[in-house]
Amino acid sequence: MTCEELKDEYELYALGLSDDVERAELERHLQSGCPNCSAGVKRAFALNAWMMQLPADVAMPRNLRKRVLGSVGIETKSWGSIFAWAAVVAGLLATVFWLGVQDRQRAAGLAEARQQLQNSQAELSQVRQALAMLNEPETRQVVFGAGKPQPPRGRVFVNAKRGVLLFASNLPQPPSGKTYELWVIPKSGAPAPAGLFQSDAAGNALYLSRAPVDLQQTGAVAVTLEPAAGSPGPTSTPVIVAPVAE
Amino acid sequence: MLFFPLLFAAIHAGGDRELAERLKRRDPQAMADLYDRYGRLMYVLIFRIVKNGAAAEDLVQETFLRVWNRVQGFDHEKGALGPWVLTVARNRAIDYLRSVSGRMAQNAYELEASDHPSLFANLETELLNSDRARRLRAAFEKLTPNQKLVIELAYYEGLSQSEMAERMKQPLGTIKTWVRSALKALREDLGEAIAV
Repeated sequence: MTCEELKDEYELYALGLSDDVERAELERHLQSGCPNCSAGVKRAFALNAWMMQLPADVAMPRNLRKRVLGSVGIETKSWGSIFAWAAVVAGLLATVFWLGVQDRQRAAGLAEARQQLQNSQAELSQVRQALAMLNEPETRQVVFGAGKPQPPRGRVFVNAKRGVLLFASNLPQPPSGKTYELWVIPKSGAPAPAGLFQSDAAGNALYLSRAPVDLQQTGAVAVTLEPAAGSPGPTSTPVIVAPVAE
Repeated sequence: MLFFPLLFAAIHAGGDRELAERLKRRDPQAMADLYDRYGRLMYVLIFRIVKNGAAAEDLVQETFLRVWNRVQGFDHEKGALGPWVLTVARNRAIDYLRSVSGRMAQNAYELEASDHPSLFANLETELLNSDRARRLRAAFEKLTPNQKLVIELAYYEGLSQSEMAERMKQPLGTIKTWVRSALKALREDLGEAIAV
């Protein structure tokens, strides 16, 4: 058969639909390198490819893509699963955040309790030392403010080894940025600072200065209002003056 | 209509060689891209042939598996990926029709041979082109009813001319005349659009 006779067979051959005689003849042409038939079959493949796009469109099955990709081992993430994962992650983040807040609150409560315990222990220690000081016979007691029309009132205990113990009541509330400072005033010379303290909300104060005191040289114990950091020397009029000289 | 998927896919049409190369490297994303580019055309073609949604889904899956497994034999430097993929899809669907109707043995070898990747070398046909798709549809509409029927029997039912003659109860010579004249009309109408 000639190329001219075979040219109407090209498309059917490319579709695998040639009858036996025509197929055998065309394959003989192709195997011999016939340029006409080779080009013709190539064009037939192109035409056939176009013809395969002729069918009218139809709705695609929704899950076909996932199924096809799954069949070759490729997992696809649907928007549903993405949202589900996002919800899980958001839930985990919220839980972590809530646990963090709870942890911080617990830590803050614990620190506050620890601070209260330390304060209580310090107060207990001070009370014990005060009692020990009061029990010693050589401790000297001075009352101040008694009989005066205005507070504060109280007592000062002085012990050469254990220092100065102050009990005071009706102390005025210190202004903002101010604190009380205890002074040991010698018979001659400048007052020596003996510590800072605050009164409670009712105006009461208990303060122990554990620095040894030279009773022979001490004339009085005084309290002044000073800046919060304290002062090297009194800067205001004393609110308490308790003479301790014999 | 196919125009939207064609338009969408046309954006990617220039990347068939790169896509084929990635498929050969077993890049999983390439398979997803192949589906996004040709999955719809493939399903529409297969559905037209088998006229059954469930079977069409199975055949689309089989086609992608076949492409995935045979892509190593495809010369992406020379080959046209789209025509090859659609030919594989058509042949799977025709094979299914034949198995259902007991025609399995007939033309089985030819069908198997006609989607060999090497046959698509130097075929530059760009499938995803909506203008050419319109021209093809217009050319097909110009055919006579008998010409349309034999073309559909050949492309979408996989019947040889002898089988068409039997089905249509027409002499083989008449069938061959209709087939020849239909293909000639299509070739002439499409002209350089199918030049390779």
